[in-house]
Amino acid sequence: MPAPDMVIIGGGPAGLAAAGEAARAGLTVTLIEQRAALGGAIFRQPSSGEVVALPRSRAAERLWRSLLAGIAQPKVKVRFSTSFLGVDGDGHVLIHDRAAQTVERLRPKAVIIACGAVERVRLRPGWDLPGVATAGGLQVMMKETGAAPRGRVLLAGSGPLLVALAAQMIRAGNPPLAVVEAGDPLSKPLAGPPLVGHPAILSEAVSYTMTLLRSRVRWLRGAHVERIERRGEVLQATVALRDGSREVIEADRIGLHDGIAENDIGLPDQAESASPIVIHAGDCREALGALGAILDGQRAGRRAAALVKNETVSMASLDKQLERARAVQRAIARLFGPVVTLPGAGELPDDTVLCRCEGRTVGDLKALLQQPGISGREVKHVGRFAMGSCQGRFCAANTTALMAELQAGGRRPEQQDLTGQRWPVRPTPIAAFVNAGPLDPAEDKEELS
Amino acid sequence: MSTAGVFHFQGRAIPFREGETIAAALTAAEIVCFGQDSSGRATRYFCGIGACQCCLVRVDGNIVEACLTPAREGLRVTAAGENDAGA
Repeated sequence: MPAPDMVIIGGGPAGLAAAGEAARAGLTVTLIEQRAALGGAIFRQPSSGEVVALPRSRAAERLWRSLLAGIAQPKVKVRFSTSFLGVDGDGHVLIHDRAAQTVERLRPKAVIIACGAVERVRLRPGWDLPGVATAGGLQVMMKETGAAPRGRVLLAGSGPLLVALAAQMIRAGNPPLAVVEAGDPLSKPLAGPPLVGHPAILSEAVSYTMTLLRSRVRWLRGAHVERIERRGEVLQATVALRDGSREVIEADRIGLHDGIAENDIGLPDQAESASPIVIHAGDCREALGALGAILDGQRAGRRAAALVKNETVSMASLDKQLERARAVQRAIARLFGPVVTLPGAGELPDDTVLCRCEGRTVGDLKALLQQPGISGREVKHVGRFAMGSCQGRFCAANTTALMAELQAGGRRPEQQDLTGQRWPVRPTPIAAFVNAGPLDPAEDKEELS
Repeated sequence: MSTAGVFHFQGRAIPFREGETIAAALTAAEIVCFGQDSSGRATRYFCGIGACQCCLVRVDGNIVEACLTPAREGLRVTAAGENDAGA
């Protein structure tokens, strides 16, 4: 098996766009996807032909077909159910074939990491309870199974994803109990102009919003979920309403979402002279949404191909389009900006879980910060924050925000202080390493000679 | 929609449909807590994209993300922390 010129991690919009672009430039590409199907979160496919897919807009359908068309050629090989473990000191890309239970080593000239975004989830007591998921998590499962999450579902946080998910649930026959939204996009019609230049985004957003407004689902704007408690089989969410009053909503499931963030946490990228070159692309590099991810994937594929072939290539047109995608994201952020003051993490009860993997709480961090001048690195190594298996993806931002809140006047800690740089930790059986295949024959010869 | 098979979660038979993940099948069976991890904390479906590592379960002895792992006939799925004592 000859080594591919390029390995791409992730079969979402950015990875597919990068693969298409690199192949067009003449490179051979192996794209690895951890699931059994392409699509990423945004184009998550139904888990079988029997599942009736959620309806997608015609514009989204066109984008998806053109991404697939771009990789439908012999230079692109897709490996499903395969996860990325890292690049070793000799420049080998380690991948784990989860079905065959083997680790393989590839030696490409370039690696593009396109592993998408993570959702932001603000701290609230009870966010870590079973039954509470991210709204995006509920949405991708809905795309896979074709069915709305069952039971009484409460959606809370902020951002357009909550509106989209609520509309999809309404159309699928199980409307959420309510959508709790910290912002009030309806009160800010003037924040929208950059969206007008993107009719596909605008028409989808309007359609979801109208579905929500025409339904009986309460859209509680300027409100936030203060805490979640479990009472037997039921979750109780205490909602702080805009007028200062409180309301308790009982739910079977709660979906939280406070925006999206880059999923590049701890992932190194390597200089252009390195072997292999490592480039981040799409939401993993900069959270710009699906259209931005496609542009950034194209950019990364084109740039990596040029570096491999030692050519120069103009990015001016893509850069201009990416700038427009940024303007759209800024407009959405303004539209959904909170209209009420949300409590700082320092005001939360001490037993609020901050780092779920290690079970560390707000109180644990407060106690640790009694030591003057304690660094982010020490907070990790002594306090075990961001030390666990999520590698800080869901706690590093909240931990550094709380550190900044409590250590007034001190240096604002960076997420990177906590996460460091390390390749993703994935559950990989030792047997899979033992089964690691030989390097490709060409390289074996090279090593022997 | 037809059932493609059954796997076993902590002794309970869980039906699944073709192509479905372990997490989707457990959720359809109204199971929200996937057991405890090796530190005694509850595991559960959360991000759905393999990022949070909150849905780890043990499948025939190996720890995997329930949200990424397709269900298969006859799998023995237990809590991630379950085997630790005996191992």
